[in-house]
Amino acid sequence: MFLGVDIGSTTSKAVILDSKLNILSASVINTGTGTLGPEKTVKAVLSKAGLNEKEIQYSVVTGYGRMTYQKADKQITEISCHARGTFFLKPNARTIIDIGGQDAKVIRLDEDGRVKNFAMNDKCAAGTGRFLEVMARILDCRINRLSVLSQKATEEINISNTCTVFAESEVISQLAAGVKRENVAKGAHKAVAKRVAGLAGRIGVEPDVVMTGGVALNKSVVDALEQEIKEKVTVLKKPQIVGALGAALYAFEMIDM
Amino acid sequence: MNRIEEIIAIMEDVSRYPAKAIRESMEETGKEVIGCFPLYTPEEIVYAAGMIPVGLWGGQKEIKKADKYLQSFCCSIMKENMEHGMEGSYEFLSAIIIPAYCDTLKCVCENWKAAVPDIPLIAMVYPQNRKITAGVEYLVNEYKRVKDELEKISGKKITEKELEESIDLYEEYRKTMSQFVAIASKYPRTIDAKKRHSIIKAAYFTDKKWYIPLIKELTTELNMLPEEAFNGIKVIATGILAEPEVLLDTLVQNNITFAADDLAHESRQFRTGVSNSGTPLERLALRIAGNQKCALLYDEEKTRGQLLLDLVKEYKADGVVVFMMKFCDPEEFDYPIYKKELEAAKIPMLYLEIEQKMDSVEQIRTRIQSFKEMLTV
Repeated sequence: MFLGVDIGSTTSKAVILDSKLNILSASVINTGTGTLGPEKTVKAVLSKAGLNEKEIQYSVVTGYGRMTYQKADKQITEISCHARGTFFLKPNARTIIDIGGQDAKVIRLDEDGRVKNFAMNDKCAAGTGRFLEVMARILDCRINRLSVLSQKATEEINISNTCTVFAESEVISQLAAGVKRENVAKGAHKAVAKRVAGLAGRIGVEPDVVMTGGVALNKSVVDALEQEIKEKVTVLKKPQIVGALGAALYAFEMIDM
Repeated sequence: MNRIEEIIAIMEDVSRYPAKAIRESMEETGKEVIGCFPLYTPEEIVYAAGMIPVGLWGGQKEIKKADKYLQSFCCSIMKENMEHGMEGSYEFLSAIIIPAYCDTLKCVCENWKAAVPDIPLIAMVYPQNRKITAGVEYLVNEYKRVKDELEKISGKKITEKELEESIDLYEEYRKTMSQFVAIASKYPRTIDAKKRHSIIKAAYFTDKKWYIPLIKELTTELNMLPEEAFNGIKVIATGILAEPEVLLDTLVQNNITFAADDLAHESRQFRTGVSNSGTPLERLALRIAGNQKCALLYDEEKTRGQLLLDLVKEYKADGVVVFMMKFCDPEEFDYPIYKKELEAAKIPMLYLEIEQKMDSVEQIRTRIQSFKEMLTV
């Protein structure tokens, strides 16, 4: 049995694979690095699979919190793990857009699934899940309802995509001027898409484009991204666990080698 | 500790504590010290004036006062230099020379007069068209002006003989360094990316007469060892400066070494020598005229990409690491041009946008590790 753990800034994910590369269990806990999230997610994934720790032959940890998690046998970056996980699920993938809670990445793959190039956002929160969380808070909307709110928009407004703090005060000004919440929500999604499209532009986009990470669950971001990069964007069934799946695949390869 | 380790430790100490090293040089030689802002400040003239030129390439100070003059989008080396000046860290300098290569440096000349009035400024401007006769003549006149200013500070005339001797010393420095980096590439474990950087950096804070023999000795000692096997990644580094140190630590941790570099702070300083003909100042001006492939010197043919390709080939490097100093316009203008050429040649490239003081390097750590995995996993 092979364990992959992906410790992000806001969530902790884990996947267990058997030796035939079937996913035995997966877990997503909504707390990330620096919390009990990593331990909880490992406990949950073991429990779902009916396994104990000793039955894990090899484990790989990835994600923002990979350096501080001591229990894994090896640590590998989330760029390599998202690449491996995505290619396993969708071998036609050539571009991966991974938007997580605190960062955004664009990864280019070759036909063998190897990373050809990648681009990451800087330490700024614009273009990440954090930007949407801030917008949801101002709009008094639950984060998982933000996309639904956006779908009701009647017109499109522009929101700064360069800085979350600037955008926050900009949105408050828009609301004070009477702009409808749903229109602001749509503008926020568009701002994320523009920012990530700019990142993608640095290394180029080649189809098939696949989106991973928690923000892929937000349909409005996916729609806006398709418009910005002018390519169809495929969202994998469980986009949040792709990094953990990639880590589990690496764990399998370590033993299989 | 063997002799190689001893010399490396001396150089690391100088690089880590530059103010201490400079004060020691001042005490030992009895010479005054002139601060030289980047990039090709005429150190030879300073040395001929009987003073020690020291390089001012920023630092890792928290910016508090410099924001008064330089906005957040200005080059972080200039902000650091301004902060050090305003904080009094440079109080031992008799003067500073600022060559105005870019928009920020132009403004810094004026800012300095107001911000740090106690340290006299010698401003100079390099010609855009440095290769044509008028450009060379203009630069010779600028050097004359710098020479006159330095003579006023030192209180003595600089003779032709002193200039020639100083140029000879700096030519020896350039030759010594070129030999060192060529040899160092064969010993990537003994001279890793961080040690290489410290050794080259130490030259900025010491008298070249003290520094050169040590580097020669180091090169000779290295040469006596068998070449080191290396199973890591060899890269060509390009950009202005490979700092802060945590970046170099991360590269070393990931078994990435510099096979060669095209850094303004390192090889660009010594890869071009002076002309053999003309007056001393003409020889210096012709060195700048002949200096190519640098973002700060106008290059109408845009040959930097080819230089990087040549270095990759010569040193059998696995890729190129770009150290993009925020917000260096000349470097940013070059980047899309050589990026296209490296991509066409399928050379893997890692782009790192850096500042001298970086409180959070986690994302850069991920980028460096991902680059390694991209080439090895």
